[in-house]
Amino acid sequence: MTVTIEKRRSASQWAVAWRRFKRSKVGLIGLFIVGVYAFIGIFAPFIARYEPGSVQPLFEGEARQPPNLRHPFGTTSEGRDVFSDAVWGTIAAFYVGLGATGISMAMALVIGLAAGYFGRRIDDALMRFTEVFLVLPFLLIILVLSRILALAVGAGLGLTIIVLILGIFGWAGNARLIRGEVLRIRELEFIQAERCLGASSSRIVFRHILPNVLPLTIVVSSLLIATNILVEAAISFLGFGDPNTVTWGQLLNIGFVNIVGEWWTEISVGLMLLLCVLGFNLLGDGLSDALNPRLRE
Amino acid sequence: MIPMFIGISIIVFLLMYAAGDPLQIIVRGNPRILQNPAFLESIKAYYGLDKSLPEQYLRWLWNFLNLNLGNSVYGGRPVNLLVGAWFWETVKLQLVALAFSLALSIYAGILSARKQYSKTDTAVTTISIFGISMPVFWFGIILILFFSFTLGWLPSSGAYGATRVWPSLKPVAEATSAELLVDHVLHLVLPSLVLTYANLALYVRIIRSNMLEVLRQDYILAARASGLPERKVLYSHAFRNVLSPLVTLVGLYFAGIVAGAPITETVFSWPGLGRFYVQATLGLDFPVIMGITMIIVVMTLVANIVADLAYAVVDPRVRIE
Repeated sequence: MTVTIEKRRSASQWAVAWRRFKRSKVGLIGLFIVGVYAFIGIFAPFIARYEPGSVQPLFEGEARQPPNLRHPFGTTSEGRDVFSDAVWGTIAAFYVGLGATGISMAMALVIGLAAGYFGRRIDDALMRFTEVFLVLPFLLIILVLSRILALAVGAGLGLTIIVLILGIFGWAGNARLIRGEVLRIRELEFIQAERCLGASSSRIVFRHILPNVLPLTIVVSSLLIATNILVEAAISFLGFGDPNTVTWGQLLNIGFVNIVGEWWTEISVGLMLLLCVLGFNLLGDGLSDALNPRLRE
Repeated sequence: MIPMFIGISIIVFLLMYAAGDPLQIIVRGNPRILQNPAFLESIKAYYGLDKSLPEQYLRWLWNFLNLNLGNSVYGGRPVNLLVGAWFWETVKLQLVALAFSLALSIYAGILSARKQYSKTDTAVTTISIFGISMPVFWFGIILILFFSFTLGWLPSSGAYGATRVWPSLKPVAEATSAELLVDHVLHLVLPSLVLTYANLALYVRIIRSNMLEVLRQDYILAARASGLPERKVLYSHAFRNVLSPLVTLVGLYFAGIVAGAPITETVFSWPGLGRFYVQATLGLDFPVIMGITMIIVVMTLVANIVADLAYAVVDPRVRIE
């Protein structure tokens, strides 16, 4: 008689989180919405009928048309097909959302980990530095910087300027959150055990503390992506964005200028933006439920 | 706090300096200045541009401490005067929005936390997540489209009737003071509604999640077990513990009150500081940008201190050292 022994690994932290995430309706809706937008962004060249920002419909005599089959979101009075531009705008939104959030979270992680783990002088210095960024009026500084840099560097860098500015000014709050989490984890028994075993600082930080900070990082990243997309839209709406890239904010500006009698641009692009941001926010809520079991019963 | 102020002011000052020469803007406005070197020199002296950079900064700092924000590059009017003119309109708008959003969010947040996963709770959370997901300015535009253009109930822009008062459409010159007041209040409705919703969405989420945590505590169970009425349990036992995070939020809000809501004010053409700031930034009007930014920084620093003091009031466990 042979006995088959099944080797079973216990479920990893991520498998557990995924199982819990699947149960969260909110998170799944968010994931679905984000997935749809990612699809639109990736296949934009096949979905959009017209080139970004092109005035082709004007030459076809179809400017300023309300939504119809050929132009699902209508056309502007300058002859831009709103649907195509909204599709192209998805790429810009993802670039800003992911890019700026990537920069911010990298900075937040480095500063939060260093401040939380090393403590004392380093902590003090880094937290003072963080406070400076927290005290600076975020939106106003971003407006000033984007205006100044656009003049200084010219339009050559395009949207990248906005990504850099948002990234460099958006990390402070999250660095504080991560520091708090590191402070908590640092005092747990398994870290003490690791230290008694003679592990180096870098091993403790990267192998033990970092993986435990990641859940929090992922949740706040998702929410920060939503915020960054909104802030970029606001910047472009006010005319401080990159004029050469088609973004939702820019379209919203055009829609607002021509709001009388041309309501479709504003409403369709606004809903497109709203849904995208909603997707990331719902995803963040779902992730928070799945990754932070302490917050739930 | 003082090193922080000096540090930030130097950063902002250098930023402004890096942006370019304000003289160019003045000359562009009136090219004939260049033909008269003496006049050019006097303008340089008026704005302090003839001094070295550190000297310019110290001059700015000295003036700031004496509550003098310098002169606008456009037309040379004192920034104090300009800021003063817009200040109260912004504060009015913000205070109305803050009062409504606080009252509503406390009520809705507690209601929603008490009956978690009920229909009320779903409604409240849905409304609030839409609120944080939509661009504030877009919501404002939709309101303008609906209430001003389609229904014609409310004025779409400004704070006062420019030529005629709403809703009687009497010429402003002939209107009584009561009619002028009604006109002003009606102008206030849409922008404050937009700001209220934006704040409300954020506050409700925070109050709800904190309340949920508090309601699970043993002392709430004890309060209920001792037969206290539910109202008392909720508002005087549970809600007290939600006050601390709320104080943080309101503190931050007060700091930003001067910044106003640049975008909302722009959409509604509200004659406030936020819209003024956006215009100054578009025109690179350095003294104005610098002045308003630093007022906000000072208010933020003060608000932080006030919030710290307020913690001790709302939470007796907090001791001030």
